[in-house]
Amino acid sequence: MRYGTGPEVLREVTFSLAPGSFHFLTGRSGAGKSSLLKLMYLAHRPSRGLITLFDEDIATVPQNRLPLLRRRIGVVFQEFRLLNHLSAFDNVALPLRVAGVRDSTVRKNVRELLQWTGLADHMDARPPTLSGGQQQRVAIARAIIAKPSLLLADEPTGNVDEAMGVRLLYLFEELNRMGTTVVIATHSEALISRFRHTVLHLEDGILTVRESTVHRGGVSVRAPSQPTSEPER
Amino acid sequence: MIRRRGDLVLSREPSARLVPWIIGLMTYLACLMLAGALLLSELLDQWSTGLTGTVTVQVMPVEGESAGTIDDRVDKLVRLLQRTRGVAEARAIPVPEIAALLEPWLGAGAPLEELPLPRLIDVRFDEGGAPSMEVLRSTISNADPTAILDDHGVWREQLAGLIQALGAVAAFIVVLVAVATVGIVIFATRSGMAAHQDVIEVLHLIGARDVFIARQFQNLALWQGLRGGLIGIALGAATMWALRHAASQLDTSMLPQVSLLAWHWGVLAALPLATALISNWTAKRTVVRSLRKLV
Repeated sequence: MRYGTGPEVLREVTFSLAPGSFHFLTGRSGAGKSSLLKLMYLAHRPSRGLITLFDEDIATVPQNRLPLLRRRIGVVFQEFRLLNHLSAFDNVALPLRVAGVRDSTVRKNVRELLQWTGLADHMDARPPTLSGGQQQRVAIARAIIAKPSLLLADEPTGNVDEAMGVRLLYLFEELNRMGTTVVIATHSEALISRFRHTVLHLEDGILTVRESTVHRGGVSVRAPSQPTSEPER
Repeated sequence: MIRRRGDLVLSREPSARLVPWIIGLMTYLACLMLAGALLLSELLDQWSTGLTGTVTVQVMPVEGESAGTIDDRVDKLVRLLQRTRGVAEARAIPVPEIAALLEPWLGAGAPLEELPLPRLIDVRFDEGGAPSMEVLRSTISNADPTAILDDHGVWREQLAGLIQALGAVAAFIVVLVAVATVGIVIFATRSGMAAHQDVIEVLHLIGARDVFIARQFQNLALWQGLRGGLIGIALGAATMWALRHAASQLDTSMLPQVSLLAWHWGVLAALPLATALISNWTAKRTVVRSLRKLV
């Protein structure tokens, strides 16, 4: 993976995520964590290599099927990327509305989730009027409202206090127990040591796996020069 | 396009407020050009089918002839014409009126009595029952060999050519205005997309189809186009009313009687709908083409 004619940001990255697994993605700033997540949530195409998502090679998936794949992925962006002219409620409701879910279901599900994330009193608030932590919770709620098969979160606890960070991790684990595969990019050693999950570590564009998993049908990223075998658990 | 369930309301960027006014001005120009083209077409139709319904008979003076004699010849021809089938009215134009017609060329106080001026008979036909020009010409020349029937054919043909050219120019301007409107909408949509790039990317990444994203811009473009169209047609209607009012103050006996027909007004009234649909379609094409460049 490279941007334009720049150097390769990701070089030797081969891993598979089992359905229903939970992973932390770590690495220093600039190591390529966000780039890897962008590849996984289909914001970029790899300059070489193979990405298999839900048993589909994204290089050969027809363009008109990509939206359906994206709907199975929830993303918490590092910079939240909330729509400032919409209320918190409407921001969280976006994935459901895009998928054509009925209004009554949208209202019920969004209210429930906003209550759970402690934002019941801020449903009508616009993001600029919310604190950083509140915005982050709105972003997380938007990422999980459609019960995605894969949740990708880029520093999701970066703007909340420790207690809220832990609470959000419990929320991710709850989602994970319901079958969602979770990948959380984080710098927080405290969270990594508290919640013991497989760690994908990126350094100089090379990915190493601590506590690998064996599985099928999830997400697979493979550098072209690497063998096709999956990493052992 | 009508707003559907789940559609978003895009925030309005300040520059978007100008778009309906620019489209309004374009529609205004298109309205005037279209009205002009329709009027000219109607006028041409009237002339080409002879519905102007008038001819002029010129009675040439004979050398040494007295005023009384030529008056008698003119009266005789007038009576003949009044008896002719298909003629609604035949009227000898009085000499002072002929003098008034010539005054712009000869100046006031010109010694007209010394000039061998032809006398004129204004003939108006029944609506839809004009006699054959050949037969009429023959009848007149038999009655008075110096009388000449002028059905304004040469002048009418030249004018018809001019009108056709003017009509083509007006139609071309309407097409140019439509193209300019498309350009304005493309520009406005692109600037709207640039202003809402974050919205587009987020929608794209959470799985919105291109048509869903395009619809957000189509909605905006549709209403901008409709508002612009209504502004333009209102200005156009006001201008046409003012022109009609000004024309009613003139002596229009020498001008052709032509006005917009009901279906012409229907065409003009459809302009706001046309601008709305053009805007809607253009926005969709612009957004979908831009989105195809995304992964």
